[in-house]
Amino acid sequence: MSQNFEPVILGFLCNWCAYAGGDLAGVSRLQYPPNLRAVRVMCSGMVHPDLVMEAFQHGADGVILMG
Amino acid sequence: MIDVRIGQLAQQLGVHRNTITNWIKSGKLKATATVGKRYLVEESEFRRFSQTLRIPERMVAAIVAPDLPAHPIDNAILTQPKSIQSEVRMSDKPIGSVMVVGGGIAGIQASLDLANSGYAVHLVERSAGIGGVMAQLDKTYPTNDCAM
Amino acid sequence: MVECGRHLNIQLHTLSEVIGFNGEAGNFNVTVKKHPRYIRPEKCIACGACAEKCPKKVPDEYNMGLSKRKAAYIKYAQSVPLKYAIDPEACIYLTRGKCRACEKFCPTGAIDFEEKEEIVQMAVGSVILAPGYTPFDPTGWDFYGYGRISDVVTSIQYERLLSAGGPYMGHVVRPSDEKEPRKVAWIQCVGSRNTNRCSNGYCSSVCCMYAIKQMLITAEHAKGQPVEQTVFYMDMRSPGKEFERYYESAKARGIRFLRSRPHTIEPGEGGNGVRMRYVTEAGELKEEEFDLAVLSVGLEPAKGSRQLAETFGIQLDNFGFAQSSNLSPVHSTRPGVFVTGAFQAPKAIPRSVTQASAAAAAAAEALHVVRGTLTREKSYPAERDVSGQAPRIGVFVCSCGINIAGVVDVKSVAEYARALPNVALVENNLFTCSADTQDMIAARVREHNLNRIVIAACTPRTHEPLFQDTLKEAGLNGYLVEMANIRNQNSWVHQREPEKATAKAKDQVRMAVAKAALADPLHKLTIQVVQKALVIGGGISGMTAALGMAEQGYPTVLLEKADRLGGNAWNLTSTAKGEAVRPWLEGLIEKVNQHEHIKVLTSATLKTAVGSVGSFVSEVEVDGQLQSITYGAAILATGARESRPDEYLYGQDPRVMTQLQMATRLMERPAEIAKLGSVAFIQCVGSRNEQRPYCSRICCTHTVKSAIRLKELNPRMNVYVLFRDLRTYGKREELYKKARDLGVLFIRYTLDSKPRVTSNGRGLTIACSDPILQMPLELSVDHLVLAAAVEPNPNHDLVALYKCGFNADGFLTEAHPKLRPVDMSVDGLFLCGMGNYPQPIEESLAQAQATVSRACVVLARKEMQLDAIKSAVTEKCDGCALCLDVCPYRALKLMEENGNGRPRRMIASDPALCKGCGLCAATCPKGGIYVHGFTLEQLKAQVVAALAANG
Repeated sequence: MSQNFEPVILGFLCNWCAYAGGDLAGVSRLQYPPNLRAVRVMCSGMVHPDLVMEAFQHGADGVILMG
Repeated sequence: MIDVRIGQLAQQLGVHRNTITNWIKSGKLKATATVGKRYLVEESEFRRFSQTLRIPERMVAAIVAPDLPAHPIDNAILTQPKSIQSEVRMSDKPIGSVMVVGGGIAGIQASLDLANSGYAVHLVERSAGIGGVMAQLDKTYPTNDCAM
Repeated sequence: MVECGRHLNIQLHTLSEVIGFNGEAGNFNVTVKKHPRYIRPEKCIACGACAEKCPKKVPDEYNMGLSKRKAAYIKYAQSVPLKYAIDPEACIYLTRGKCRACEKFCPTGAIDFEEKEEIVQMAVGSVILAPGYTPFDPTGWDFYGYGRISDVVTSIQYERLLSAGGPYMGHVVRPSDEKEPRKVAWIQCVGSRNTNRCSNGYCSSVCCMYAIKQMLITAEHAKGQPVEQTVFYMDMRSPGKEFERYYESAKARGIRFLRSRPHTIEPGEGGNGVRMRYVTEAGELKEEEFDLAVLSVGLEPAKGSRQLAETFGIQLDNFGFAQSSNLSPVHSTRPGVFVTGAFQAPKAIPRSVTQASAAAAAAAEALHVVRGTLTREKSYPAERDVSGQAPRIGVFVCSCGINIAGVVDVKSVAEYARALPNVALVENNLFTCSADTQDMIAARVREHNLNRIVIAACTPRTHEPLFQDTLKEAGLNGYLVEMANIRNQNSWVHQREPEKATAKAKDQVRMAVAKAALADPLHKLTIQVVQKALVIGGGISGMTAALGMAEQGYPTVLLEKADRLGGNAWNLTSTAKGEAVRPWLEGLIEKVNQHEHIKVLTSATLKTAVGSVGSFVSEVEVDGQLQSITYGAAILATGARESRPDEYLYGQDPRVMTQLQMATRLMERPAEIAKLGSVAFIQCVGSRNEQRPYCSRICCTHTVKSAIRLKELNPRMNVYVLFRDLRTYGKREELYKKARDLGVLFIRYTLDSKPRVTSNGRGLTIACSDPILQMPLELSVDHLVLAAAVEPNPNHDLVALYKCGFNADGFLTEAHPKLRPVDMSVDGLFLCGMGNYPQPIEESLAQAQATVSRACVVLARKEMQLDAIKSAVTEKCDGCALCLDVCPYRALKLMEENGNGRPRRMIASDPALCKGCGLCAATCPKGGIYVHGFTLEQLKAQVVAALAANG
């Protein structure tokens, strides 16, 4: 793996906690790498297993579920 | 038949008392004089007159039948121009708004409950933002939820 | 909080104070002085440029002086309103006439140094005073060294040290050298229960619990390296719901609880840390060093509350808290003015929230005839039908001044968006949320016939409602907007990588466009509200709740299982403040029975309950007959009872009795009791043990009250109280002091050395040991009174009917222990009184009035709108019922219907119960159920779009 590997990570963020946390990180200006692509969901429980498979099929390097 | 007092009606409609007298004298509002500054007006006549002046139905109802409680649900009146609301005092009726002093958790809760059950709320806070001391707390027990 | 700032019917007046007040209940005139903010709130977009450029630094009161803020400031990051202000006492221009740096850098021209103080008059029907409290300031108490020793902090400062938004971003360090403390001490009752150094003779009620919370969180922060934590206390007071378990968990974590009061705090070696000397329970003098000392400061009436009381013409008590009766806890001494929160007495969050709702109910009661006369509701133009139309998406990319544009290349993002499928129009705005841009968006929707909108700006959590509103004003369904969060989750967090941030923003916009293309108009479901209430339980809580509902004009059914109203209150003589209970109770029952809107059903039980918030139907059995009732909200006031002790010779010797039995005797045969030579009380009989690991809250005060009564009847009587921790919280502490002054002897025991009771012909003998004398004692007494635990009335049937919950001890569970203390997890159900937790009259009444306020929120409208984000069943559903078990809200049901002559099983979703979490959608193997606004197709489209650039 090369030194400048830039993974694409797909995140499913619960609207009430993880997504809110993401917003708070912004308000607090906490810096983190720009590799996450966030999908807002109403609850992390609504993420169907198919969606995770879909993400990997389309080339995601990682999937993170936060809730 | 409605028993009209000039002063009271002037206050209810938010106009000068002379205006009421002028209306009656000019015949715009047909009324029969009784004792003192009192007049008797037919209810239908008053309703007709109100329509020509576009007096909101709620105010008319309050004058025609002052003891009838206002309908709890209808929120229509506020579409009227501001001057009418602020000047009209339904003299013997209370005012449908509440002042809450203090924007801490107690003040916020009281404001929300009142605003959600049909009252206008004025929330007065000394500092530049609401939240009070609770906003300074890190977490709350026993669930350790964030205090925000 | 945010809801409060946005509410159409709440007008926020910040930086304001009341300076004049006159009129009478129902019709007051208030004069309010509004101090200038010097920043126009309608223009301020909270970008922070003013604070960044402001050269003046002052201590930040929000972080209790542990950090600095600028003269142009915002109280805290999530402040409501999220608008900056200029502190006139610190601002260089306003004090010395030069600077105005903020004015130059403000991108919207919001700074206005010409703003003047404003005096406004307001006419209101009622007033609620909730000025809160001020934490006690221990400056000047030389023996604790606060202000002199840098490693002595107050508990509220420590709270800021723990907070992720605090001065050290949640990394706990001590102020002297910013090192992590390894050994921390808490000192309780600083500025509480003290009449020597200050005149705060009350208990602040909250410090024991917040200290335990701080210790448990400190332990969590310091994973790996343990922190040694010690509390120096007088009595540990954890008499709230689940509090005792929390206390026990702290003990189990190894936190050291020392019943001792250090006299003096000295600086530690080299100026870091502290050293203190204290006496152990065994009488040994010890000296110990700590890295950090936290003073658990008490609550004092808020600064300025004396002046406030003067302005409003209400009385304060001897401590400076608002005066109120225990039988009407939110009424001040002036009609139409109500008091709530810590202003009335020191109290924790749930009690404050409860009391706030109670005050709202009381304030509304006098005004219900004019309900809705001054409130507003928005009206929108008719919605355009977009079904069947190909998506025409308008994309609006926000620069947010420099907040987004400073990092992300918004021009190139806009350019990129133009090439995306279905996009008909792209614009870049300086501030998409500003009022003029809103109008512009509405105009573009009409001009370009747009039918979906994407806003690339900040977070939908705060701004989606605003844009939904814009769409509705433009005649589009509000759910046709989608937001791409390129500020909070992009430009603000990737400030050092502008190129990658721009690439991410493009991806985010592409994802939003993909989802928007699949968006369908959604409609809020409207249900008809049955504007009636049901109250279950005819004790004082239930009666107060029923009376409150009826006084607000709602027909109410009051259900009582016994044959008469009143419950436990029949056994009570007086409240903690000494008001007589019996005449008040009889008056209350009379009022309830006479009220035109209340129907009282005694000897009645609830048999069935179907429906959901706004519309319930139940069958009630009264004397063997079934009746059907409908209601929109129900209040559960099922109450509790005194348990029967199984120890200390109870039931074997007639001289051993419970508190209520003693209370009855005191009421009926005081002369007989007065002749007794000695009486002992034993506390915590059946509470705070393995069987009932909770504190019954009311017994300490009750016992102290009875002990005082005995001493008043016969000053020569020997009265002993055997206790574990004496929990006379709040102003009840005065009773404890009075009892001691009258000569009541308080003897502490522990769970390991419980008193032993034996009986003989002459009396009872109690063997125990005195922890202060360190000697065994033997007491001979005539009567023994047991403070038996309070246990809830059985709630199983109700819980099963309503599918609500109770805790391990059998008390009904609230929706949220802090923020929704009288709501239940099932919408439309509320709880109050001892069925929730043991509590004295004034707290039960406050809860009962709070349920009135909460229930009125439901019943005030004829129709109720439910959020449109709900689950919906599709044709693909074959009734396999996998989703049934996962639904946390029990919103799904299996239905059987006869389609085409053969039975077909299908799931049905009840939108009133569904919260749109989508667990069902994730469980369903065949796409038989989905959530509106978050369909599988929409989410898939987002996933695909997110990864499209990746190939």
